[in-house]
Amino acid sequence: MIHYEHFVLANGLQVYVHEDASTPMAAVNILYNVGSRDEDPARTGFAHLFEHLMFGGSQHIQSYDEPLQKVGGENNAFTSPDITNYYITLPAANLETAFWLESDRMLSLSFDPQVLDVQQKVVIEEFKQRYLNQPYGDVWLKLRPLAYTQHPYQWATIGKDISHIENATMDDVKSFFFKYYLPNNAILVVAGNVTVEEVKQLCKKWFEPIAAGNPYVRQLPQEPRQTQARFLETTADTVPLNALYKVWHMPGRFDTGFYNADLLSDILGRGKSSRLYQKLLRDQPLFNNISAHISASLDPGLMIVQGTLNDGVSLEEANAAVEDVISTLAQESIAEEEITKVKNQAEATLVFSEVELLNRAMNLAYAANAGDAAMVNEEAAKIQAITPDTLRSMAQEVLRPDNCSTMFYRRSAN
Amino acid sequence: MVLDRTQAPEFQAVSEIRLPAYETFTLDNNVPVYLISVMQQPVVRLEIILDAGSWYEQTPSAAFFTIKMLTEGTKTRTSAEISEYLDSFGAFVELNSGPDRASIVVYCLTKYLGPVLSLMREVLTTPVFPEKELEDLRNITLQNLRVSFEKNAYIAGVRMREKLFGSKHPYGRMQQPAAVEAITRADVVSFYENVIRDRPFRVLLAGHATALDVELVNRELGQIPTSVPVSVRQDFIPAPDTTPLTVDKAASVQSSVRLGRVLFTREHPDFVKMLVTNEVFGGYFGSRLMKNIREDKGFTYGISSSLISFRHEGFFTLGTDVKKENTRQTLDEIAKEVRILQTEPVSESELETVKNFMAGEFVGSLNTPFEIADRYKVILLDGMPDDFLNTYIPRLRAVTPEEIMQMASQYLDINRLTEIVVGGK
Repeated sequence: MIHYEHFVLANGLQVYVHEDASTPMAAVNILYNVGSRDEDPARTGFAHLFEHLMFGGSQHIQSYDEPLQKVGGENNAFTSPDITNYYITLPAANLETAFWLESDRMLSLSFDPQVLDVQQKVVIEEFKQRYLNQPYGDVWLKLRPLAYTQHPYQWATIGKDISHIENATMDDVKSFFFKYYLPNNAILVVAGNVTVEEVKQLCKKWFEPIAAGNPYVRQLPQEPRQTQARFLETTADTVPLNALYKVWHMPGRFDTGFYNADLLSDILGRGKSSRLYQKLLRDQPLFNNISAHISASLDPGLMIVQGTLNDGVSLEEANAAVEDVISTLAQESIAEEEITKVKNQAEATLVFSEVELLNRAMNLAYAANAGDAAMVNEEAAKIQAITPDTLRSMAQEVLRPDNCSTMFYRRSAN
Repeated sequence: MVLDRTQAPEFQAVSEIRLPAYETFTLDNNVPVYLISVMQQPVVRLEIILDAGSWYEQTPSAAFFTIKMLTEGTKTRTSAEISEYLDSFGAFVELNSGPDRASIVVYCLTKYLGPVLSLMREVLTTPVFPEKELEDLRNITLQNLRVSFEKNAYIAGVRMREKLFGSKHPYGRMQQPAAVEAITRADVVSFYENVIRDRPFRVLLAGHATALDVELVNRELGQIPTSVPVSVRQDFIPAPDTTPLTVDKAASVQSSVRLGRVLFTREHPDFVKMLVTNEVFGGYFGSRLMKNIREDKGFTYGISSSLISFRHEGFFTLGTDVKKENTRQTLDEIAKEVRILQTEPVSESELETVKNFMAGEFVGSLNTPFEIADRYKVILLDGMPDDFLNTYIPRLRAVTPEEIMQMASQYLDINRLTEIVVGGK
């Protein structure tokens, strides 16, 4: 249970306060309602490149990091297909420093061309380090466009291609900032050893003077229901083992039925007692690694099964064995015991996710951005409401063969 | 009044740390339990610590396989039944094997601690090490290694440890496919019988737990025999090799660069001085290396250095994945930064930032019961004095610019750092 208070500033900034006097720290989380799904298909990777630029100085403050480090604070940020999230933890006594820094970069960046130039290089090295110079690093660069034909989830947050990052201009940076980095397109969560009154005063002082902008109305092409199985094969000489990837469309993070799909993926491939692990790694020696998980995106997301194959096992054989496990799940009833197990796993995950102060702040911001902060405290009840029947009907919809995209990642013969 | 956004707000330097005290209990079999009680979320972490690291093994990888096999079958339960049992409570188990120690760590809701403990007693006292599960684990481990050895950063890390300590030393001997292929069930049984069975161990319990939960621990883990003293470690002396190593990878677009040398553990009088020196050099996002190699030149996504302290030895290491064409220039810039650190005093302002950041990071790293338990390990397991954590901030504040120059000259001599490049230069 995460308790909180909520208020809105005159410029539309939504503020949530979670008081916790048991820590000497404060967490400040600002979520901007923009992710890679909002990008122009010809300029992908921009939301993430922009996140880097947010650390390159703002209108009145030359350096973002150094003044924060000076007061004992730490910060970082991440960009996803759905959001861009910035967070700080610092001694609660120095809370105002976080307000000073965050409000100035919401007001305006310095738009220094040197910063853009260097961060383009840094992001290109990040692209190489994470996606090109790693075995299987490019999987999602290939799987996304296979699974999504219309929705902008078809490109990865890092971008489709390095050239998109190289081609970004200062004009692009400015127009992106003034379109999305608005008080009325953000959620501020302040958590820890703070009071609501103190946060209200600091908000009034630092954030309220920032002018609102034109509201961003998201109109993205939605992904049509998939009605035919898709297949892609790729080869690389840097991968030591053949690998299999299968994905199915499923509901979005806060959509009805989300947890039914989430628990189905747990039954399939969470931990060593899961069906895929027991049947295809232990009972039959096909895989040396196999698991299932979900993307948990805000728009309808993906359930993913992935595994690496033992030598001497063909991808065709391994794929047929996975499909067999999938079709059993879709067609046969699930034992009560197995449902209780995955519910207990989900409950434990939920409670552990609230141990860290910063996680509580992020969970709150995430739910608020999705439309209702109260949803952060409704998860446990949603998990408990799942029945064999709701699971069954979700399995039949999601685990249809026609809803599946399959990728064979082959080790090249030489 | 007009708001002046160029003026930073007033701030306070961190001095207060809130460290809940730990309580010590002794079980019926004399096993100590250290309780860190933080009554917030209803969760607990149980950590069973065994003096059973690779220091104690006769055959490479025996410690690793023995620990991992504990949950692969007991006299009364199969591997599948053990997984099913733990997963049915939503409990999550980690089986860790390091050079000094091994541990079984369980995260669970406090309400399930009882059933989790009864299984832990079982896996510690009646494991059967079945052949089929050993073969599965061997296969999984080998295939994981094959993937890891395709990663430049992994290769660089393995080679560095071999260079620093020698490939026979427990700190230098990283897991190799040949050892994994060679291990037998007899090696595993022998390690269990000679290092784990009936030996004393220690328990850390952190989270939403009280003396009543310690009583639950006593009912299970307190009844395990501990009559045989902990095995004597064999002696190993580090055999450092400072010749540089370049592993050419034509297809790589980046090089993994590592520099390192054997230094000392946290018991050494220079430890905190060197910690501050390292922080200035490459220890945090605002470090000199980050400013130079990433924020000024854009050669890399990240570069960092750190001091690693094992139980008996410690070392310094620096690493980055850098655009291949810039590898030589990166090495030159690192050498340049070392020279500056050795010859020019750090400004008061930079030093203040570093100290405040380190103090804030330390206080911020004591936020959860699990983090607090991890911090206490240096006192409980590594024998540091009881006030080690409470005096940490004043000790780092006392470090002077002159001491940093001295540390850099004494310990960061570029000619004594071993260089490893995987990729090309």
